[in-house]
Amino acid sequence: MAKLEARWALRLMSNAMARVSRHFHVLWKQFLLRIIDLEALSIEADVEQYIGQFAGVLLMISLMQALGNLVFPPPLSEAWKFEQSHILTMMLIVGLIAVLTWDGQFPDRRDALILGPLPIRPRTILFAKLAATAAPIGLAILLLNGASSPIIALVFARTSNWPRFFFSYWFTMIACSLFLLCTLLAIQGVGAALLPRRLYIRLSGLLQLGAYATVLSAYFLLPTLPTHASMVAVDNLQLVGLTPSYWFFAMLNQLNGSLPADMQWLAWRGWLALGASLAGALASLLICYSYTMRKIVEQPELIPSRKAYNWRIPLGSSLTGTLLAFCWRTLTRSRQHRIILAFYLSIAFAVWLAALHRALIAPGLRNFSIELPITSTVMMVFVVMGFRNIFALPISLTANWILRTTQLRPSARYITAVRRTLLLLSVLPVLLVTAAMGLTYRPLTLVAGHLVLLTLLGIFMVDASLAGFAKVPFTCSLLPGSANFQFTFWATFGGLTLLLAFLLPVEVEALHHPLHFLWLAAGMAASCITLWTINRWLAAKAELYFEELPEEMIMTLGL
Amino acid sequence: MLELRNLAKHFAGIPAVNGISFCARPGEVTGYLGPNGSGKSTTMKMITGLITRTSGEILFEGREVAEDWTAYKRQLGYVPEEPYLYTHLTGLEYLTMVAQLRDLPERQTRQRTEALLELLGLYTDRHAGIAGYSKGMRQKILLIAALLHNPQLVLLDEPFSGLDVASALVLRSLIQRLAAAGKVVLFSSHELDTVERIAARIVILHRGRLAADDTIDNLRTLAAQSSLEGVFAQLAVEQDTEETARQIAELIHG
Repeated sequence: MAKLEARWALRLMSNAMARVSRHFHVLWKQFLLRIIDLEALSIEADVEQYIGQFAGVLLMISLMQALGNLVFPPPLSEAWKFEQSHILTMMLIVGLIAVLTWDGQFPDRRDALILGPLPIRPRTILFAKLAATAAPIGLAILLLNGASSPIIALVFARTSNWPRFFFSYWFTMIACSLFLLCTLLAIQGVGAALLPRRLYIRLSGLLQLGAYATVLSAYFLLPTLPTHASMVAVDNLQLVGLTPSYWFFAMLNQLNGSLPADMQWLAWRGWLALGASLAGALASLLICYSYTMRKIVEQPELIPSRKAYNWRIPLGSSLTGTLLAFCWRTLTRSRQHRIILAFYLSIAFAVWLAALHRALIAPGLRNFSIELPITSTVMMVFVVMGFRNIFALPISLTANWILRTTQLRPSARYITAVRRTLLLLSVLPVLLVTAAMGLTYRPLTLVAGHLVLLTLLGIFMVDASLAGFAKVPFTCSLLPGSANFQFTFWATFGGLTLLLAFLLPVEVEALHHPLHFLWLAAGMAASCITLWTINRWLAAKAELYFEELPEEMIMTLGL
Repeated sequence: MLELRNLAKHFAGIPAVNGISFCARPGEVTGYLGPNGSGKSTTMKMITGLITRTSGEILFEGREVAEDWTAYKRQLGYVPEEPYLYTHLTGLEYLTMVAQLRDLPERQTRQRTEALLELLGLYTDRHAGIAGYSKGMRQKILLIAALLHNPQLVLLDEPFSGLDVASALVLRSLIQRLAAAGKVVLFSSHELDTVERIAARIVILHRGRLAADDTIDNLRTLAAQSSLEGVFAQLAVEQDTEETARQIAELIHG
């Protein structure tokens, strides 16, 4: 009898396990696909190729680091600098993925309404969501360190300590990644559990942007402290004590056995932070899955808004005004658009912060130097690129029909309106920020000259980026699956280096010689006019293009 | 008058709409019926220009619509089958955008939009995001967007979908009033009772071909049926509905 009962219990357990496992696999795949929002991709996109290209960039960075360290091995004295830089890069990559998958680990309305009525345990949903987030982060850790870690261990560890350094390195990389991910999870979880759902949704976007800016700013602004003296210096004590990347740097050296005694507290702070973040994330996830899912369903779908919140962009009812309002609302309300744009804007923001930091260190008026052109050009490039790229990310392909049935104006007018929108959203703010920064430089004539050239650069970039763009923003995709991301990444990197290293010195030289300046400005203006004329000619013949599910797809689906 | 002549649409060589011809006259509601997949929505999309036709002609007021799409679109109001909207906008923002794209005068549009939102019970939710709207609320936004510019040709593809009883009654009466005002109203629905009440003329599509085009009275007489449902079942329903229901129930019960 007991044997029969045991067999029955075993079978019941095994069936339950199989069911849970099946549920987990189905959900895991679904949640993983949600991370790469399929609607953001073109219908012609190849998801695997898309992921492969990102992975390729990370692997290439790792291989380049490995090769560089192997061919030109840095001296042992630079070990700390390298270690800090690697930890910061790892935290940047994990931070970016964590911010991109923001809210993805917590149940949303879709989960509550679709999965709620099904016989699936909340913990299966939780594990599937965590696994879906862990997969890209694990892959990123592996790709970014896979090739470089053995070489770094060889270069920076004493031969006898190679395995220990190798283990310490990997442990620290995983620990700092976990810390960042769990901290962000805990912040989201506490917000989701404590705040009313609608308020949390609003606040969540701001938190996400804040986390994005923090991660990127930290990467660009944190100094490397390459020596023991600089780490324990009184001036740096507060910075070191409050910055997680230094804690994990200390942890690496503690595990490696090379941490000075007066820095042990820093490593322990890292351990404490890791434990606290893990506990915080676990607690908030448990609270969310046992409480928030019910709260989501119970809260009303729609709360009538009493306040008159129908602000208008003061451009009348012109097409530019209409498109500008549409773009602005899409950018401010779509999480996906906001976060991808934030990636570009954060780089510009970090460059601006660096300039501000320098201005604060040495207050007062400064002589005009190449610093202002470098800062403003990098800002212009990334802001224009960011807005242009985000224009190619659709908001809802199925809703495009309304733009098609209401197209009462010629396509050329739409194209002109899109150009003006891009100028207003990207070039104008950079010019205003540069002008404000320029007030601290003397002579002002050189600043004014630079502003003229920067304006021309912005106009040129806008016209170049919109060549052949016969579309309304957010109605078609850039075909990210078929675009060569690797090529774009390295081409931008190379192009920007070329611009900063060779062309900006030419600009600064021209600013000091009126005749040279006139020639340069005239050349740039001629380029702008030529490009603008070509675009207008193309626009006159163009038909607005809207991406929708192709007719053939309907047939292949057999509908 | 809206006139379709030998209109056809082939998807990868397979005909979805196969050479249909009929007229929708001003002053009367034309009901456009057919089973799922018969080609109703494809016809509607061809009339709006959302999909290109394989062959045939579409004439409005005697002119081929492709000759001047812009002029034609000014007179067109369309409610699609699915309530696809830019859900990140609020109801009022969406309607304002549509009005601006239609180049309507701002002050008049604002007054008209707000009045329509009030009449359809959406005024208090006008500043809420469409993402939070129910299906019926989205349907009302589509209706307002389609009628805001006082169009001469009104195409309604399943306009009652998701509407509550009161709103459906309002819409039913509104459709009749639009027709009475001399507009051309082409109205597709699966709700045969409603179609029977408001349509003067019925066009029935079956497997992409025209199965019937006549007044309701004539169709009833010709098919020797007392209701439109009977006429429709005779012309466009192939399966034995009772038998299918029995088989489904058997399958479910195991």
